[in-house]
Amino acid sequence: MNTLEISNLSKSFSGHQALTDINLLVPEQKIFGLLGPNGAGKTTLIRIINQIIKADSGQVLLNGDPLRPDHVYDIGYLPEERGLYKKMKVGEQAMYLAQLKGMSSRDARKQLDEWFDRFDITPWWNKKVEELSKGMAQKIQFITTVLHNPSLLILDEPFSGFDPINVDIVTQEILRLRDEGATIILSTHNMGSVEALCDHIGLINKSELVLSGELDEVRSRFKKEAYQLRFKGNMIAFTNALWTNFELLSKKTEDDVHTCEVNLLKGAKLNDLLNTMLPISEVLEAKPLIPSMHDIFIEAVGTSNENQDAS
Amino acid sequence: MSKIGLIIKREYSTRVKKKSFIVMTFLAPLIFAAVIFGGVWFIVNDTTNHDVLVVDQNGILTRHSEGTGHLESRFANTFRDSDNLIYHFTKNDITDEVFKEGPYTLKIVIDDAQLNSGSGTPLTYKKIPSLRVKENIKSELENAIEQFRVQDNLMLDWATYKSMKVSVSFVEMDVEQGGHESLDQYKAIVGFGFSVMIYFFIFLYGVQVMRGVIEEKTNRIVEVIISSVKPFQLMMGKIVGIGLVGLTQFLMWVVLCSLVMFIGGLIMFGNMSDPALLVDAGSVVSTSELSDAQAMLLENDIALAFLSINWPLLITLFIFYFIGGFLLYGAMFAAIGSAVDAETDTQQFMLPVSLPLIFGFIVAEMLLQNPDSPVGVIFELVPFTSPIVMMIRSAMGFAGMEWLVLFGSMAILVLTFLFFVWMAGRIYRIGILMYGKKASYKDIWKWIVTKS
Repeated sequence: MNTLEISNLSKSFSGHQALTDINLLVPEQKIFGLLGPNGAGKTTLIRIINQIIKADSGQVLLNGDPLRPDHVYDIGYLPEERGLYKKMKVGEQAMYLAQLKGMSSRDARKQLDEWFDRFDITPWWNKKVEELSKGMAQKIQFITTVLHNPSLLILDEPFSGFDPINVDIVTQEILRLRDEGATIILSTHNMGSVEALCDHIGLINKSELVLSGELDEVRSRFKKEAYQLRFKGNMIAFTNALWTNFELLSKKTEDDVHTCEVNLLKGAKLNDLLNTMLPISEVLEAKPLIPSMHDIFIEAVGTSNENQDAS
Repeated sequence: MSKIGLIIKREYSTRVKKKSFIVMTFLAPLIFAAVIFGGVWFIVNDTTNHDVLVVDQNGILTRHSEGTGHLESRFANTFRDSDNLIYHFTKNDITDEVFKEGPYTLKIVIDDAQLNSGSGTPLTYKKIPSLRVKENIKSELENAIEQFRVQDNLMLDWATYKSMKVSVSFVEMDVEQGGHESLDQYKAIVGFGFSVMIYFFIFLYGVQVMRGVIEEKTNRIVEVIISSVKPFQLMMGKIVGIGLVGLTQFLMWVVLCSLVMFIGGLIMFGNMSDPALLVDAGSVVSTSELSDAQAMLLENDIALAFLSINWPLLITLFIFYFIGGFLLYGAMFAAIGSAVDAETDTQQFMLPVSLPLIFGFIVAEMLLQNPDSPVGVIFELVPFTSPIVMMIRSAMGFAGMEWLVLFGSMAILVLTFLFFVWMAGRIYRIGILMYGKKASYKDIWKWIVTKS
């Protein structure tokens, strides 16, 4: 079951193409990483899902149904550019935002008490927002986003403004919410948190979806015929042995153990590499090199840009 | 509660709880009362004692008292001493130096010129006397000269002369109103008061709508809110909420002002409004009392005008035109707020919104002079000025065709604000999501015509 099914979605703003024929599935109870360079169209896509703007064409299904006005109660949205009423008290404001999401004031109060307790911020209830630090305000925003238990959470750069301790706290909460049934769209430029949190990803570049799928599957798609080797022996002999079929990507030595990354060329196999090495060294470990999300992002965006330039 | 209700509630409660609102609401009637009563108090309760030296160089207005031999006023009821005004008489003028050192605080010098023309009487003082004191001395002197002329020059009996004097006052009838006594001029003044109020509230609270929109935009909460509610709901909630704040303030002012005026009136004029005193003052026949009586007549007309105004109609129309005008202008202010990033950028858009408002105020001021001017009808119909201009007619009352103008004006206002609210909504929905770029009129036009 997919929480979100987006098909053939396009949107343009007075001549500027913001989204081109986007097809995307966000599976239920997963964390979906929505990636892309600045200005690629992520915010436009998120705003369409939130019914803030309408698409020119295409369809968005939430839990199987075309978007309806009451779907706003099923979605919690934490925009990247976010704020609170500075002059309003924290509690009053949280109650207001919760009621706008359709909660009764009794429900809102109960849930808020729980969340404030969990984040250990109950004493803030009667403070004005302008008295809070940025991190404190971010916590309030996070709470008001998830308070009404939406089935879909859209978090745009949720960690910005947090110290590492609070990043951990919020990360745990995101994982907990997913485990309790929520589907989460995480839009971020922090590839570390994508690798740590996301089950699926979609990458948008210049209004087009250029990459999507399960994180591990995407990574294996970008996997090269490259291996990381740890061995003992003579480094010079090793580099000499890597004759024409192999390319040395990196090397480093700690104590007397060498760690090298080697690319296999011209259809060579790991066996060929090992055959070359075994006579001159003691191989400790050989494992395939998995590309980082950082590398994948840069490569995918680079390729997409080349294709668009060419066409 | 519906979402728009929640928004109205927030806009309303955050504003009426503000210190500035509470202070303004309670302070304004007090300041109003202080200005009015302070002025009256100053005039009425001027307790400075004056010793007035009357220098009667020809000895025409004075005579020697039979008993004491001192100089005294020759004519009845002239230069009467009062609590804080004692008159002294002499035939020989004293020099300024002697006056300065002497016990007198005021000095008037009467010679032939004064007896002939009355004007140019020198009044010398140590400290400037109040208007009331000056008026008092003046009327005493006028009275004395008048008696001198009547009795000495014309050889008439004063009482006979007095009985011949006649005072004319008008009772104005408007034939259009069935020949009843017309107090239109005074009613128009009352209506103008309401015009000022509408003008003032639309400006004051319209700008608050604009500020509220800019605030939501700059602190970036707007995207959170419009993921829960429609931009149109947010905009209308804001306009209505702030409009209610304005109405609240108005009603509070009406109640507080009446209360303050009533209490203040009781304290200050409790004894003066005693009917016996009025009769007493009316029966004393002298020019000074006559002008007082005239003043009272004038006051009576204003009081009559106040009483003859159709207050339920006026208040109903005030509320209607306040709401209609506020929705119309509030929508424009909201649209302006959504199109800019900071209040400093609003100027280029403010002008076309403020101009009709100011113009309406000027027209209303003109109508005050000439309430039945046909030009008024045009601006009673134009929706941008009607909320201000129509108040004057509302106070004066409607007859015949004027009812038609009223209903036309109301209908046009409703249609126009519906149209402007719709248009503002289209500007608003796009404007609030636009950052960094300064919008031009061209951009705004594009936003209006862009489909959502």
